[in-house]
Amino acid sequence: MNALFAAVFLLSAALFLFADPEGFLPALLAGGEKAAALSLSLLAAYCVWLGFFKVLGQSGLSEKLSRLVYPAARRLFRSNDREALSLASQNLSANLLGLPGAPTPLGVKATKRFEKTGNRYASDMLFVLNATSLQLLPTTVLSLRLAAGSSAAADIVLPTLLATLFSTLCGVLLLRLFSRPRFGRKAWGLRHKTPPRPSKTARRPAGERPRKMRNGMPG
Amino acid sequence: MKYLALLIPALFLALFAYAVVRRIRLYDCFTEGVKEAVPLILSLFPYLAAVLMLSELFERSGLSAALTNFLSPAFRFLGIPPEISKLVLLKPFSGSGSTALLSELLRTYGADSYIARCACVSYGSSETVFYISAVYFAGTARKNLFKPVAVSLAANFLSVILGCFLCRIM
Repeated sequence: MNALFAAVFLLSAALFLFADPEGFLPALLAGGEKAAALSLSLLAAYCVWLGFFKVLGQSGLSEKLSRLVYPAARRLFRSNDREALSLASQNLSANLLGLPGAPTPLGVKATKRFEKTGNRYASDMLFVLNATSLQLLPTTVLSLRLAAGSSAAADIVLPTLLATLFSTLCGVLLLRLFSRPRFGRKAWGLRHKTPPRPSKTARRPAGERPRKMRNGMPG
Repeated sequence: MKYLALLIPALFLALFAYAVVRRIRLYDCFTEGVKEAVPLILSLFPYLAAVLMLSELFERSGLSAALTNFLSPAFRFLGIPPEISKLVLLKPFSGSGSTALLSELLRTYGADSYIARCACVSYGSSETVFYISAVYFAGTARKNLFKPVAVSLAANFLSVILGCFLCRIM
């Protein structure tokens, strides 16, 4: 993110310097203004959903629901942290339903917990799932199409659903490909009963193991 | 569309009724949850501001236009109409910017044209990757986000290619 920020910022600033030096500060200010406006509307949405999810948590319903998806979530995120897994699965369901503003607070909390326990794979997975779009019905697009006078607004639903399923699948597969499975108790939490199956590299004698693998994943 | 509008009130009704039956102190509990909203926003704000300023610079400096021109032959080769390449580039940075661009495309080319349908599908199947990365990792010590961001961008881009292809045959 630091490299990207620096690159885009420097390139744009240089372009501004040559083409339109007076437009530079207004552009920055417009960004800041948007951030202020957006955080107000996000604050409104978070008030609603954080209240809602607190009630969901207190009523014991979220625990019941998360018990249902626990085995799947545990394998998907390679984690044993019940609290974080419950947050993550609520985040995913809010995404699927397309509740505006609802997934973010849950996702932020779950990411924090995953990162705190050192489970980078889980927070990466949660991020990739969120960043490849899980929504079942593209509501924004549908309403924009209706507003633009489309005669068949819904005929993009199927291609969008297929494309978004494909993107999520690609994201998950790519992430799995680039994160070697971590073994050892640290990555899986401390309480697991069945240790993950050792991979090919782990079965080699310790001396021959490539250095990269001993640290888990590179990067 | 109509049934979708029912979803949110129905969810609230079901949950709150259940909470009342379970004798939860609804008001206390709800306000307890709302309390977390302000610290959350405060922790996100710096990252939000930086990303939005960056996306504004990216668009207004002409960098996005230059990049669009540079990349559109490659996009054409992959079956992405050059008209929507700007949308594809802008989407990871800015949700509001790309929404504005999408409605402009719908107006210019007509909502049922091939280009507009491609634009809708690529908008709907991708996400604002940089924005989400800024927000989700805001409260953590994590600095190196290259892997998750690169993976998500690649996955979103592949889905745009597939989406444009599907629009052609469907």
